[in-house]
Amino acid sequence: MVDNGSQPSCHAGDIAQQQQAVNTDLTCLIVQLISTAELTDGTVGGGIEIDNVVEEQDTKDVDEGGDAGMDGENLPPGSYELLQLEKDEILAPHTHFCAICGKGFKRDANLRMHMRGHGDEYKSPAALAKPPRDASVENAVVKRYSCPFVGCKRNKLHKNFQPLKTILCVKNHYKRSHCEKSHTCSRCHTKKFSVLADLKTHEKHCGRDKWLCSCGTSFSRKDKLFAHVALFQGHTPALPSEEPKASSDQAGLVGSQQEPAKLASSIDSFMWGNSLSNDSALDVKGLESCSDDFLSTANYGSFNFSFGRLDEFIGSSSESSFAMLPPDHFQSAQKRGGN
Amino acid sequence: MTQDHHQRSVTATTGVDALSLDLLAHALSTLTDPHDRKSCRLVSRAFATAESLSRRAARPLTHAALPRVLRLFPSLTSLDLSACAGLDSTSLSLLPSPLRLLRRVSLARASGVGPRGLYALVTACPRLEALDLSHCVAAGDREVAALAGAEGIRDLVLDKCLEVTDVGLAKVAVGCPGLERLSVRWCREISDIGVDLLAKKCRNLRSVDVSYLKVIGYYPPPSLLRITSLSTLEKLEHLAMVSCSFIDDDGLQLLGIGGSSLQSIDVSRCDHVTSQGLASLVVGHNFIQKINAAHSLLEIDTCFLSKLPAIGASCKNLVEIGLSKCNRITDAGIVSLVNHCKCLRTIDITCCHLLTDDALASIAENCRRLECIRLESCLLVSEKGLERIGNLCSHLKEIDLTDCCINDAALQHLSRCSELLTLKLGLCSSISDQGLGYISSTCSKLMELDIYRCSAITDDGLAALAGGCKKMRMLNLRYCDQITDAGLKHLSSLEELTNLEMRCLVRVTGIGIASIATGCPNLRELDLKRCYSVDDASVWAVARYSQNLRQLDISYCQITGLGLCHLLSSLRCLQDLKMVHLSWVSIEGFEMALRAACGRLKKVKMLSGMRSVLSPELLHMLQACGCRVRWIDKPLVYK
Repeated sequence: MVDNGSQPSCHAGDIAQQQQAVNTDLTCLIVQLISTAELTDGTVGGGIEIDNVVEEQDTKDVDEGGDAGMDGENLPPGSYELLQLEKDEILAPHTHFCAICGKGFKRDANLRMHMRGHGDEYKSPAALAKPPRDASVENAVVKRYSCPFVGCKRNKLHKNFQPLKTILCVKNHYKRSHCEKSHTCSRCHTKKFSVLADLKTHEKHCGRDKWLCSCGTSFSRKDKLFAHVALFQGHTPALPSEEPKASSDQAGLVGSQQEPAKLASSIDSFMWGNSLSNDSALDVKGLESCSDDFLSTANYGSFNFSFGRLDEFIGSSSESSFAMLPPDHFQSAQKRGGN
Repeated sequence: MTQDHHQRSVTATTGVDALSLDLLAHALSTLTDPHDRKSCRLVSRAFATAESLSRRAARPLTHAALPRVLRLFPSLTSLDLSACAGLDSTSLSLLPSPLRLLRRVSLARASGVGPRGLYALVTACPRLEALDLSHCVAAGDREVAALAGAEGIRDLVLDKCLEVTDVGLAKVAVGCPGLERLSVRWCREISDIGVDLLAKKCRNLRSVDVSYLKVIGYYPPPSLLRITSLSTLEKLEHLAMVSCSFIDDDGLQLLGIGGSSLQSIDVSRCDHVTSQGLASLVVGHNFIQKINAAHSLLEIDTCFLSKLPAIGASCKNLVEIGLSKCNRITDAGIVSLVNHCKCLRTIDITCCHLLTDDALASIAENCRRLECIRLESCLLVSEKGLERIGNLCSHLKEIDLTDCCINDAALQHLSRCSELLTLKLGLCSSISDQGLGYISSTCSKLMELDIYRCSAITDDGLAALAGGCKKMRMLNLRYCDQITDAGLKHLSSLEELTNLEMRCLVRVTGIGIASIATGCPNLRELDLKRCYSVDDASVWAVARYSQNLRQLDISYCQITGLGLCHLLSSLRCLQDLKMVHLSWVSIEGFEMALRAACGRLKKVKMLSGMRSVLSPELLHMLQACGCRVRWIDKPLVYK
């Protein structure tokens, strides 16, 4: 069995990469020899130190690192089974893939039907039934995948071939690297993605930077913005929804304040006759709803104000304003006031 | 103008008119009292012209008058718009051509002004140096951003602008680098991040007030460090951090590192500040003149005792100390303090209950230049202590003895301080007319007297007062219910009276009030709440004669709708009206009266039951004119 737990010895990347090309073929041969030797001997060739230079990671090449993709695991080239799916298979909207031949299906039930063709062991009721979650079968043979796009580093024909781990990795890789980006972020309208999951991840963070500087830089935290402003002359924090309107007249943006200017003209139209006649609050029935305190001593109906005369009350400073009222009203009010 | 010339040439060689305008202006500049200036203005047209050309400050009461005021007084440097009813953005945007001389503008409580108006103001006044926006509670970052365009601003007051956040503060900090004084009391959205940026950008700051901010910040430990960037301000002279609960002794110590320019510090209500912290602060700052640590320092007295001398020993220049509500302070502590700080001029020991006459005696002996002492609620103080004060502190100008056990003998001793300007004797029920007589015989400069609930005072006391203290301005006679019309008649000879509070003087009728109204033309504030004998006739005189009245409280009076209408239509300057429980006024009366005055009123207080009764149009109109209505629930009958 292949020992897949051997850790690589890490070399300085530069020189080792040059040697990689040379050592690839040699190592392939050696590994194959060892594997055939193990099969005959039964002893694991753990003591053999294979210079796994070829498996040294290009540290840049970690784009499949999101899910269970390439981490530091190295597999000698002959130790795994390599599959290459076709482009149509990869781009097809299948979600379930046969582990043996890579054929894709939309439904898990269809896949199970297909597995019957791979052997009798799949015909048992246990295999045909919906698989339980914890049945993580350790496969005897490790499978790796190759990208069908020639020239890609994930293609098996490439010099520095880096296989992909699962079919989902293949799908994602192919879409991201070799397909055009059709999904666009609805918030920033700039970022495009080919994989829908990537778009959703982006949308989680898009627009979260709400702290803006006057120079256009956005920050996710307030203290970061202020540190930036403190550092540079002339930069100020920008108010969020105000930037496009900063220079123009903010006629409507007064927030919660009143704009009495608009109503100034309508004050003149508060004519006595109109307002008081329509107003039900002055009717007797409106008065019945107020508190007892008020009702007991108020005297309404005793003032017979004729509304026409009272136009002169509004806004004017009249010293002799009460001269116009009939004198008997004044006296009666005085009598009552004196009680 | 040509007619003026003609007139002047006719009466050329006689009188004031012969002098040139700038000579007259020079003569006017020697008059400091605005009443005197007004008298001159009314005397002759030449004086009036000279006065209007040289006038420096104006305080218009309506927004409609604003353009006229600016036109008439071209040399205005200070404009106070805080009393301007109905001020809004439009009226500010209609300001005339660049007002090059205008330096100070006050927009306190101008709630109708928005960013557009502020922007217009800043554009119209290129040399604006001081702006006061306090209590504009809706003012936020947009308003403050408009201010950031005024580069020359040096003094900015943003107290109680509740919506201002760190972003607004940062805009000001970057836009106005010459800022020297900034106050952001109660702006609770501001955090230490903003204050830190302020300290970094405005290096010329001299006075910073960050009281009542909940300056916690997102990450507690660095927030304190950010605040201490205030200590890097080299010119900082005054720092106020009232009720900043994050400040403790370590914080004070960190603030102590830095320039020695600090002159005044206010850490009242900071719960975690102890005297040790204060001591460490003053050790570093030898120039410190004012310390205010009210409401804090509530710790065991022995610990304090040991530290107070340290404070005393290290700051010889201490001029003012505030220890109000630090109620564990004892005589020994005060004695050791004043032994070292002989320059103290203001001492505030309100509610320090343990202090006795000995403390007062040592204060009197050591602090000969004492000008202001506040002893409210120091119950153990008696006439003996005041005797020493009276004898030794001849410069005393203000003394607050509310709720102390003061009697007439004490007042007799106190009367030796002939410079006294403010005397507060509230709740001293053992004072009688005799005591007032002592005071009024010698303290002729007295301007403010408070005899709240001194029920033994009668009309004779007021007679003495009116005879001796001609400069009286503020008088508080609340609940002195023995006063009748005769006493008020005496008071009517006080021509300078501006504030009169006579709540619950039940024996006063229209005759007394009429005499006050006719005799005191400068009356600005009148409180007649619960004077149950006041009726329409009494109010008639007020409406007729007290044309300067700004604030009026007629709650519970027996006024009818007629009287109310008359009041509100005649008093042109009235801005604040309290009329809770005017049971004799009908709804029509309220409607009429409020409509008559709606463009002028700024604040009205009414019973909350009225809210459903008054027409919604009226309420809408009041709100549109910038008038704030307060609804309150009060019982009709007091027990």
